[in-house]
Amino acid sequence: MKIKKRWLVLFLAPSVILFMLIYAAPLIMVFASSLTDWRLMSPGIHFTGFANYIRLFKDPDFYMALKNTLIWILIHCIAHVSLGVFLALILYKRPWGWKAIRTVYMVPNIISNAAIGMIFVNVFNPRFGVLNSLIRLLGFGDINKNWLMDAATAFPSVTMTWFLFAGYTTIIVLAQALSIDESMLEAARVDGASNFQIDRLIMLPLLKKIIGTTMVMAASYMLQMFDLIYVTTNGGPGKMTTNLPLLLYGVYRSEYNYAYANTIGVCIIVVGLFSMTLINRSFKVNEADY
Amino acid sequence: MRTFKHLKTVEKLGFVAKYVFLLGCVCTALFPLVWVFMSSFKTNAEILSNGISLPSRFSFDGYTQALKISPILQYFFNSVVITSITTVVNVFFLAMAAYIFARYQFRGKNILYLLLSLSLVIPMTALLHPVYMTINALHLANKKSGLVLVYTALNLPMSLLILRGTFQSIPRSMEEAAVMDGAGFVRVFFQIMLPMAKSGLASAGVLTFLNCWNEFTFALVLTSSQSARTLPLSLSYFTSQFSFNYTAMFAAIVIAIIPSIVVFALFQEQIVRSLTAGAIKE
Amino acid sequence: MKGITGKRFVPLCIAGLCIALFAACGGKKSGAVIINYPTFQCGVNTAAPVVEQLIAEFNQQYAGKYEIRKEDVPGDQNYVDKIRVQLGTGDVPPVIYGGGYNLLDPALARDVVVDLTAVINGDSEWKALYSDTALTVNSRDGKIYASSSEGSVIGYFYNKELFAKAGITAPAASWDEFFRQCDTLKAAGITPLALDTADSAWISMLWMGAIIATENTAGLAFMQQMTPNNYNTPEMIKAAALIQNMLRNYTTVDAVGGAYEHAANNFLSGNAAMIANGPWMMGDFSDTTKTSAGFADKVGAAVYPGGFVYDAPIQGYFVTKQKDPALQEASIAMVKFFTSAHAQQVALEIQGMVPSSPGVPISDQAKQKWPLLVNFLDQANNAQFRSDNLQATMYPNLLDIVSQELPRLAAGSITPEQFCQLLTEGAAKNN
Repeated sequence: MKIKKRWLVLFLAPSVILFMLIYAAPLIMVFASSLTDWRLMSPGIHFTGFANYIRLFKDPDFYMALKNTLIWILIHCIAHVSLGVFLALILYKRPWGWKAIRTVYMVPNIISNAAIGMIFVNVFNPRFGVLNSLIRLLGFGDINKNWLMDAATAFPSVTMTWFLFAGYTTIIVLAQALSIDESMLEAARVDGASNFQIDRLIMLPLLKKIIGTTMVMAASYMLQMFDLIYVTTNGGPGKMTTNLPLLLYGVYRSEYNYAYANTIGVCIIVVGLFSMTLINRSFKVNEADY
Repeated sequence: MRTFKHLKTVEKLGFVAKYVFLLGCVCTALFPLVWVFMSSFKTNAEILSNGISLPSRFSFDGYTQALKISPILQYFFNSVVITSITTVVNVFFLAMAAYIFARYQFRGKNILYLLLSLSLVIPMTALLHPVYMTINALHLANKKSGLVLVYTALNLPMSLLILRGTFQSIPRSMEEAAVMDGAGFVRVFFQIMLPMAKSGLASAGVLTFLNCWNEFTFALVLTSSQSARTLPLSLSYFTSQFSFNYTAMFAAIVIAIIPSIVVFALFQEQIVRSLTAGAIKE
Repeated sequence: MKGITGKRFVPLCIAGLCIALFAACGGKKSGAVIINYPTFQCGVNTAAPVVEQLIAEFNQQYAGKYEIRKEDVPGDQNYVDKIRVQLGTGDVPPVIYGGGYNLLDPALARDVVVDLTAVINGDSEWKALYSDTALTVNSRDGKIYASSSEGSVIGYFYNKELFAKAGITAPAASWDEFFRQCDTLKAAGITPLALDTADSAWISMLWMGAIIATENTAGLAFMQQMTPNNYNTPEMIKAAALIQNMLRNYTTVDAVGGAYEHAANNFLSGNAAMIANGPWMMGDFSDTTKTSAGFADKVGAAVYPGGFVYDAPIQGYFVTKQKDPALQEASIAMVKFFTSAHAQQVALEIQGMVPSSPGVPISDQAKQKWPLLVNFLDQANNAQFRSDNLQATMYPNLLDIVSQELPRLAAGSITPEQFCQLLTEGAAKNN
């Protein structure tokens, strides 16, 4: 289709200006400063080449954080998104109470993460926590497990603070599923397809793109995840639950080493680009249907 | 419609399993809400001594303290203003851009799109400093408009992603018919495309709304006077290093979430209505 | 709908937005010099009423000349984070109060602090409020930059009722006796200590510092040193081993991973017999939303075994360089007022805060309100050794490491030697 140039410019301009102001200019600063020795506590800023990157690749904490981040992205993109999609696939058939369920399931995403974090600190508390009480109730004795601080359980426990709340995925996929032409599904039903077959053979392919989109969102969420970890374990015990944003924040906030923090930032961007591209490729999110 | 009695055993099992799963989801989702609500009636000692117990008494002390300790109502008002403006502006601007990306070819399109969606993976902590300087340079520090600007940008990639997908899923035949009738570009966009993209607009709007509503770091750094501060900051009034008032804090959280749940529930209805109205059906 | 054509609509929207975004805020003019003072001492912070009263008094005294406008930045850490961002950009508030967080050094590194040496030396009344330690804390390279109002005299509190139940009559005089008491308490079914590891492990670190300082002269010297780089010392390793022992055997199950609030609650609800903390906690002993009525009467205060007490003025208020000389002058007047003998007295009476200046007497009103404090200060005056606390002297990034590694130390997955090595490595990242 043809478009007049001025409309094109006018329609893109607001978003591009916003991007320039809030992202582009700061981003250039982030990249540039990762090549310097910029710190709060030292007066000058000097070009140091790739010294920060060399330090990064020698830093055992970085590898731990990178590994954790990648695992969390994987879990979130696969298991968490599946949970949300599964629920959406049930709800689009409009079972009894589906509207209420859809709204209710979104509620935890409305509550601020600081509060959710505190709730889970209480759930996992070794002395009076809900989880230990439940286990005691089921007759497994006084295990008094310190879920968030025990090396074996810290990682899965922290994961649970966000894993179950797939409200975003559900509403987005559900909105798309509800907009799919009823007649198509009706035709399949007439042909004798079971619900499961319809979901698998018709719905999922039609929803593929939007699922890809929610995966990109999920990956982005995990790349930025910070507050829930900060409130529950602060990255401990050791560095077992430290991810890249938490590492960045620590370097930024308590080492005042802005240059090194920005080096970690660049690394997060690279990991992000890599995972986005991978998801986009596998779900063909970027290709038009028509 | 067949009744439960007439279903085959496998189907019955599936039916039960489905509702068990739904019940699980509902419980998971309600647990934090109930917990926060209960805690707003407990004493500090109760909150810290037994996470799951019921409050020993129902008193609204927490709520009166919450209102007394922090300027929560003022912050609430600010949050409403900032979040609503951001949501409208963000969805409007991004709809325009997303439409172009979904439909038209131009030089540098892919690279521009890549750049814009790049912002999805940028750690915001790293941008705190430079954004603060930008906002200062624009003389928008400590103003609601400064936060609106930043929030509109923060939600740029997500909205772009959702809205472009929405526009892509709308069949081209609709526009082509309108163009045949002599409608110009702008009229096609406003009168045909926007109404048809309602579900996407609503999704993007809801996400933007919720993200802004809970944003903390930029609100902290970019504002200093009471006239521009938002609700998440008010929660910090209840915990300092050596003193705390959890009762009041949970009361404040309840005050913060109940209206947004209501808004969200109403908004949800809007999405459904636009869908069932058959806007997208050919 | 066709009324607004698209052609006009879009530019209108953009124009409208621009106006909304860039609308200038009309500045309010008044004769007085305005000091915008951001503070974390608001909300539930125990110093909030003190700051409130001082601002009101200051504004009254300097009516028409100076005026302080308080800006709440609730949450200690939020305030520190915000000031650091502002330091990075050079746009700082006229008066900064670091409290227990060392903000003076970063501010000096950015060269934004006003040298107060001449002003203070020329003002005998102000100068007289500086003790030797206050001078050390607030000066760098012989120049005075800041002025303190609060002292931090920290010992520990114990539950007399629980002590009596276990047959213990007095707080321990030596660490050997202390650990024997812990065993006695434990044998009587009482958890001896309330400890924490989250949020930089304030309480556990207080015990640790006390152990280091009383070990030998090298330990005391270590405690008095600012930002030590080497934690691989015998005193430090021994203290880490004892903390490991405390976390394993003498505390509640939720100490590991618990924050100050959890530890405080364990003490306040009678679950643990001892807690290390400063006098500002005394208010909680009679707060019935946190503890049972009459709890205050059961609490005793003590200095640490080996005759040690934390005693150091908290780094004080400082003035930053401003373009407007009148504002800078007003800010100096504010700092003087906020750290005057009167201000210290106000903090003592309202909050139970120990004055930073030994010259400020404990008034009868304060004695009546805080009997425990008087008793504790008497003991503190007789203490043999004193120093600042570990957290005040550590590099800030070590606080995170402490929180992350104490759980591993408690679990035995690292040794005390490894714990100290991790701290040493962390310290090296600052150079």
